[in-house]
Amino acid sequence: MDELLIDFLTETAESLAALDDALLQLERVPDDPEMLAVVFRMVHTIKGTCGFLSLPRLERVAHVAEDLLGDVRDGKLPANAALITVVLGALDRIKLIVSGIVATGLEPDGDDTDLLAELRDMRTRGPAPEPEPAITLDFDTLEMLPPGTIESLAAQIAEAVPMAEATPEAAHGQPAQTIRLDVNVLENLMILVSELVLTRNQLMQIARTETDSRFTAPLQRLSHLTSDLQEGVVKTRMSPILGAWNKLPRIVRDLASELGKQIDLVMLGKETELDRQVLELIRDPLIHMVRNSADHGLESPAVRLASGKPAHGTITLSSFHEGGQIVIEVADDGAGLSTERIRARALAQGLASSAELATMTERQVQRFIFAPGFSTASAVTSVSGRGVGMDVVKTNIERLGGTVDLRSVAGRGTTFTVKIPLTLAIISALIVEAGGQRFALPQICVAELVRAEGSGSLEEGALVVERVDGTPVLRLRDQLLPLVNLRDLLQMDAQAAMNSADPTALTVVVATLGGTTLGLVVDQVFDTEEIVVKPVSPMLRHIKVFSGNTILGDGAVIMILDPNGLSRAVGHAGLTATVKDRPVDTQAAATERTGDRSAMLLVRLAPDASPVAMPLGLVARIESIAREDIEFTSDQPVTQYRGQLMPLMALDSSLAMADHVPVLVFADRGRSVGLMVEEIVDVVEDQLFIELVSSRPGLLGTAVIAGRVTEIIDAGHWLKQGWEDWFSDNPGPRNAKQLHLLVVEDSAFFRQLLIPTLSAAGYHVTAVDSAMKALALRDAAVPAEFDAIISDVEMPGMDGLQFARLLKEGGPWMDIPLIALSGRFNPIDIRRGGAAGFCEYLGKFDREALLAALRRHLDQHERQAA
Amino acid sequence: MSSSLLEKETLSVVAPTCLVVDDSRVVRKVARRILEAHGYQVVEAENGLDALNHCRRELPRCVLLDWNMPVMNGLTFLKALRAEYGPTGPTVVFCTTENEIAQMAEAIECGAQEYIMKPFDEAILTGKFAQIGLL
Repeated sequence: MDELLIDFLTETAESLAALDDALLQLERVPDDPEMLAVVFRMVHTIKGTCGFLSLPRLERVAHVAEDLLGDVRDGKLPANAALITVVLGALDRIKLIVSGIVATGLEPDGDDTDLLAELRDMRTRGPAPEPEPAITLDFDTLEMLPPGTIESLAAQIAEAVPMAEATPEAAHGQPAQTIRLDVNVLENLMILVSELVLTRNQLMQIARTETDSRFTAPLQRLSHLTSDLQEGVVKTRMSPILGAWNKLPRIVRDLASELGKQIDLVMLGKETELDRQVLELIRDPLIHMVRNSADHGLESPAVRLASGKPAHGTITLSSFHEGGQIVIEVADDGAGLSTERIRARALAQGLASSAELATMTERQVQRFIFAPGFSTASAVTSVSGRGVGMDVVKTNIERLGGTVDLRSVAGRGTTFTVKIPLTLAIISALIVEAGGQRFALPQICVAELVRAEGSGSLEEGALVVERVDGTPVLRLRDQLLPLVNLRDLLQMDAQAAMNSADPTALTVVVATLGGTTLGLVVDQVFDTEEIVVKPVSPMLRHIKVFSGNTILGDGAVIMILDPNGLSRAVGHAGLTATVKDRPVDTQAAATERTGDRSAMLLVRLAPDASPVAMPLGLVARIESIAREDIEFTSDQPVTQYRGQLMPLMALDSSLAMADHVPVLVFADRGRSVGLMVEEIVDVVEDQLFIELVSSRPGLLGTAVIAGRVTEIIDAGHWLKQGWEDWFSDNPGPRNAKQLHLLVVEDSAFFRQLLIPTLSAAGYHVTAVDSAMKALALRDAAVPAEFDAIISDVEMPGMDGLQFARLLKEGGPWMDIPLIALSGRFNPIDIRRGGAAGFCEYLGKFDREALLAALRRHLDQHERQAA
Repeated sequence: MSSSLLEKETLSVVAPTCLVVDDSRVVRKVARRILEAHGYQVVEAENGLDALNHCRRELPRCVLLDWNMPVMNGLTFLKALRAEYGPTGPTVVFCTTENEIAQMAEAIECGAQEYIMKPFDEAILTGKFAQIGLL
């Protein structure tokens, strides 16, 4: 994109944000000449600049809006709500066009005739006169009023008026002295400071062992300076929270008129600063929460008046710093959450049984609103109540290492409290050891450290481990705390697990993980350190218990534990089945997979050859095998691998075979085949657009990976050959009859990926590219017979869900196990899939999971048939 | 006219400076590209006050002046410039759009030498500058 255009887009985005605000202020004080001039000038500048860049559509809209505003400025037209609404409409159009330009670099096509006519019409005829503001009450409402309401209303009004006057007006402060900087400059600075912090830590570690060193004093100084520098650089990344809030007044205004409510938005602590990166990520969840408060939280004016409240509902946003975190509260003075409705809903959705619900506290019940797909809105409005909302908010906030909680008082309103770390780059962490390895546990989730005695201890007052339903628990200040051994959680080794069966003295970190508090048993606790968070490499990213890694003072690289990932792991392990917070846990699978990005392994098959790619998901392990460990049996290279002979293949005969050969291991049911390659080049994770080549067997196609066109090899094709050569018997499932699968998948790429994978696993595969073609097979004179059907979910025409519903309606295929493959992996989609009739819902590219699911269902199916 | 001003004018013949005053970075950049290609040294200001401060530090050969700007608009700047440096100060070319034609007369009255319509391109800008002896 042209540099000028980029400048224009930045400049316009800034003006547009300021314009929304200015227009809303103008609406409150319609004759403020200063505000009028500001609004006029900003629109004027946008229009004026368009001409330089030949953006005719944008220029036209801005021009007509400018004309209208010019008349307002000159006092020919009043700036009332009707006029402001029209101008806001024009701004929305401008934003739409601008976002089109951002996306494509070109003005998007579109017709603005209506809008332009409306603007011109407003200019010639003037806005309709403002209706007199009045509170109208019908007799029904009046009769509903409890006695004494009018009096209390009068008192409230008397109380509210002087308060409103006392509210300090947001001063148009002098613009602070600022410079414009490329974000990357700051990011680089941050990286450098991070490295400096690490080096400082290393130096301090060394100095600690030297008792009387002349380095001590200067090192102390260096340490302080580094801390100051770090603080300073972190500060450059900070922006006021207002950046995440500035769209809200407009959104609330629109919502209020759409919902027929009167809503005041109060923003406190606008200047509270937080990391820009966090700010960007918190914006959408906040918008969602405010919408939610406006829609669900606040009642309509009539209901409010009837319950003795002012007709105006208030949503209060506030933010402040607290212990290295930023706290953001979204409070409404509405009716509060109806726990009765939530209970009923939770029961109806099968989130909890009535017995479970009976034992839950109000607060636990209220937390159900964070469950996926949960909604209590009895009427579905266009605003919310569509079954997505608070669960998404919760997931997004937790992804930032934050927490969200709520307080609700019936009749008084609901307050959501979000706590997030100020920055994601450097965090304070407790270093712990488990199974001989050190891990960093973010300090934010550490509540306290306690030492517990094993069951053998008789010491008075000692903390003793007890057992409830076989789960070890710790009684801490009258609370039962489930204990989880970090070694077990990370599946570190069997011996460790044996030790923990009867612990004698345990170090317990009392940790808050994703809403539950539990005792995390570790082998040892070290210091608290300021650690620099480095992202996890793509290869390890699917391991959700780690959120990153870091380098310690002594130079060791250790993993950072992810509290939310740990909490899910705890849920999966079933270790705290009696204590776990169900609504939290139903989200378990929600963020397991990233969607349509796929990880590709880039390898070189021969010296000097271009790298080729294959889906990383197909590769079980990557090994390096010494050349002397490669033997030959009848010309076939093999190697001893995990107690078995593993055949080795090479796709290119000119493979150099250095001292150590990188080998990609493909495994299926205890059998492995190794693919020898020249060099492992890289692992890239990207959204791939694959161009198919069908003419060459063994080649899936080409895609642009890391900036160059790369061939994607069909590992399955080659392995199948390898398998057939080596395991001369048919590698099919254990029964003699070969099982027949139907694959319904519109993407040729995935078809080509699935067919060899499934064939290699011994299945006979038929593939079609649409649900209609699959149905044609079913409805043929002699219906085709399959043992299982694997279907894509997202397909043009009839999608996978419709397809599944049709199959389950009846017909010859009604009882065949149906497995969904999808790039979208969230709880709602999974639930929809289940409702449509799929027995499994799997992510694409997850070969292991697919084969396991097939085995499970085909065995089960067979048993049922027998 | 003081001798120091003369000296400055002599210097500016060697490397003439144009002060581009506009609140839009895009417009400033467009003007800069054109003028630099024709041997001008360009300094930028985002409003009238900023521009006035520039002039007080070093008087440019000419000023390309936008009209509607925050903090201090073009007209106020022009009046202040002429008040401080008299009619022989920098040549002022002011930018306008068809909406502001009424202001043209006012600008000329206050001491602007020429006006130019936005949007301008290389031909328009250099043409105008050549007309009044700036190129």
